[in-house]
Amino acid sequence: MIKEGKFGVQEAICLTWITIVSKVFFSSPAVLARLIGSTGWYATLISAAVALLGFSFIYLLLKRFPDKGIVEIFDIAFGRVIGFIISCILGLYMLFITVARTSELSGFLRVYVAPQSPNWFIIGIFVVCIYTLSILGLESIARLSKLLIYPLLLGFLTVLLLGVQNYDFNNLFPAFGYGLDKIAYNGILRSSVYGEVIILAIFAKSFQGARFIKKEGIIGISLSAAIISLSLLCCSLTFPYYIEQEITSPMYELSTLIDYGRFVQRVEAIFLYVWIMSNFISATVVFYSFMSIFCYTFRIPDKKPIIIGSCIILYTVSLMHKNIISIILGYISIIRNFGSLPLFVLPLITLIAVMIRKKGENTNA
Amino acid sequence: MRKVIIMLILCTFLLSLTSCFDSIEMDDLLYVIAIGVDKGISDKWRLTIQFPTMQEGGGQMQSVSGGSSGSSGHSYASIDAPSFFTGIDMLNASLPRKLDFTHAQIIVFSEELAEGGLIGEYIAPIARFGDIRRSSHVFVVKGKAMDFIKENKPLIGTTLSKNFQVLAHASENTGFFPHVTLENFYEDLKSPYGQTIAAMASVNDLKSFAGEGEPWGTEFKTGGSYFAGQLPRTGKNKIEVWGTALFNGDKMVDKLNGDETRFLLMIRGEFRQGRYTMKDPKRPEVIIALDVRISKKPEIEIDIKDENPEIRLKFQLDADILSVQSMIDYENPELLPLLEENFKKTVEEGIMALIKKCQDLNTDVFYFGENAAKNFFTIDEYESYNWNSRFKEARVIVDVDFAIRRTGTQIKSYPIKDPIGVE
Repeated sequence: MIKEGKFGVQEAICLTWITIVSKVFFSSPAVLARLIGSTGWYATLISAAVALLGFSFIYLLLKRFPDKGIVEIFDIAFGRVIGFIISCILGLYMLFITVARTSELSGFLRVYVAPQSPNWFIIGIFVVCIYTLSILGLESIARLSKLLIYPLLLGFLTVLLLGVQNYDFNNLFPAFGYGLDKIAYNGILRSSVYGEVIILAIFAKSFQGARFIKKEGIIGISLSAAIISLSLLCCSLTFPYYIEQEITSPMYELSTLIDYGRFVQRVEAIFLYVWIMSNFISATVVFYSFMSIFCYTFRIPDKKPIIIGSCIILYTVSLMHKNIISIILGYISIIRNFGSLPLFVLPLITLIAVMIRKKGENTNA
Repeated sequence: MRKVIIMLILCTFLLSLTSCFDSIEMDDLLYVIAIGVDKGISDKWRLTIQFPTMQEGGGQMQSVSGGSSGSSGHSYASIDAPSFFTGIDMLNASLPRKLDFTHAQIIVFSEELAEGGLIGEYIAPIARFGDIRRSSHVFVVKGKAMDFIKENKPLIGTTLSKNFQVLAHASENTGFFPHVTLENFYEDLKSPYGQTIAAMASVNDLKSFAGEGEPWGTEFKTGGSYFAGQLPRTGKNKIEVWGTALFNGDKMVDKLNGDETRFLLMIRGEFRQGRYTMKDPKRPEVIIALDVRISKKPEIEIDIKDENPEIRLKFQLDADILSVQSMIDYENPELLPLLEENFKKTVEEGIMALIKKCQDLNTDVFYFGENAAKNFFTIDEYESYNWNSRFKEARVIVDVDFAIRRTGTQIKSYPIKDPIGVE
């Protein structure tokens, strides 16, 4: 039996929050600007609303099976064979997210910070860190996320506040970007941005019951939506839509434009810290989810022996991307466009299955 | 405790992601401060760079050496190259340090290049280049960019970079040239909201400063009617930044003098403060000096219902009286409106003339298009309206609200007594 340890609501919220928010520091604002103009800041609220709906399915599922994680529920709902297949799909998808995130970080670091560093070096260090934190376990990851959330938030807000000098509200017009239909479509489609909330279901046993998970999920998604919306708003205020869609990392570029004279400039060093740390925690949590699912699916009682193997897989697969465009328009686009299927639709199908098959606590109600 | 140590090691590892493999000793680099671009002769572009030589005594010596063999606080190097990036590599082959552009403060283009519509061709690759910060400043220089860089010597202090930073921000105190960064310039080149501008710079040959001749009479000049390179001044510093280069697309179509630039900045909401000289309404042979500030961002409304758009522009200026040569008691509430009306009229007329000039050039450098966009729901609708082509026919209504708020350290002017018994 694998024990992940127990932790409180705050840790869970911080974990969810960082995991979801970290992606906004990469190409997402640029891709959104390409799709819907400067309306990303409110389109993401649509995504968050859809994600809350998706999370409600997850919650209803967990409520029927107290003290069980989603992978166990798959087995109960569909039987061992189909449950195994569905768990594998979810597990592989979590690995794919980690690979995409690691490759994306490496690509972006090479563009902006370390152009001479080879991918094997950047990804290598990153994977070593993921390995170390994975050894320490979920409880340590959660506590670290709570510890780091304050400096990360402070750094992030400082950058956005200092960026005020470059904000222009006229950039937000025309107010409906490339059209309301596109905003609605992409808003719904990209609900997968908040899909990492599924970690609450994967590690449900550590979160002290469905009632707490409900709270953690709702707060986690809402806070993430607020931060993502604020980030996208600031990007749109700084860059008009036709420039924002050109920039590899609008958030980083925003920080480089801050210039209050000789003493307050080049503050991207703060942003860099926020960028790497949040991505590190985010990638580790998702990677740890993959391992947790893997261990349960293959009935492996202890994670530690497989961490090193999983890290080698992560490392090698992360090195396999062709170029940064294949990451942004390939990996990341797949995750954004189809991510809702494993993260929200699978739990919905499972919920329908358990309702039809009258499984779980509520069948006696 | 073990966990804490592991965490610390972990954080150290992560922080190393910010450099490590890319590490380079600071004194292995040559920090380029200014980049000049001209049309080349041996190849397409002539690239000139200026850099501090980091020698003891720095810029105190203030002499500049040609080529890359500088022996003073700063030096320059020029090369003809097919592209900016190849030019860097070519220069790297002849310089003892690796060129680093992360501290580049200004990018200077020659007027010839700008008028030939070649800036776009050059700016686009530079904007992609991560080393050059988009907060660096863009100037169009009268004459050759190389000459401008050659003449650029730190007059005060020792650092070139500080000189440029202070110079670029001087616009905020005078309004005689715009503060345009690479980001602004690049954005506006691609903008459907308006057209781009750049600060004009020049080497002043100091010939406008007449050493001898008839003393100036009572004719009035605002002080802002000059173009870059024409200021009647002398001194050791030969370079000056003054006025604005106007673009239509990536082609420079005209330029503005100091006064016109101030009006431009007022409309764009970028004018902060400037000292104006106006004729005394009661005694036109003498002047009144005002310290003028814009008190809030301009209100711009654009009506697109008719075939030709209508632009309603309203803004408020505040001023302090700096001097009244005539000693007429303008502090008197009955006379103060006379000053206010006169100045208001001057500004309104100046603004109307400037807008007309830009309409004739078909270039909306005021960015009225940003406000026009508020009339549209979608980007497609707005882009198909094509603001930049409609601006030419727009009807403009200007309303300037001007108030003198303070009268300096005096609240009354008492006349100077006429000389008695002196012919």
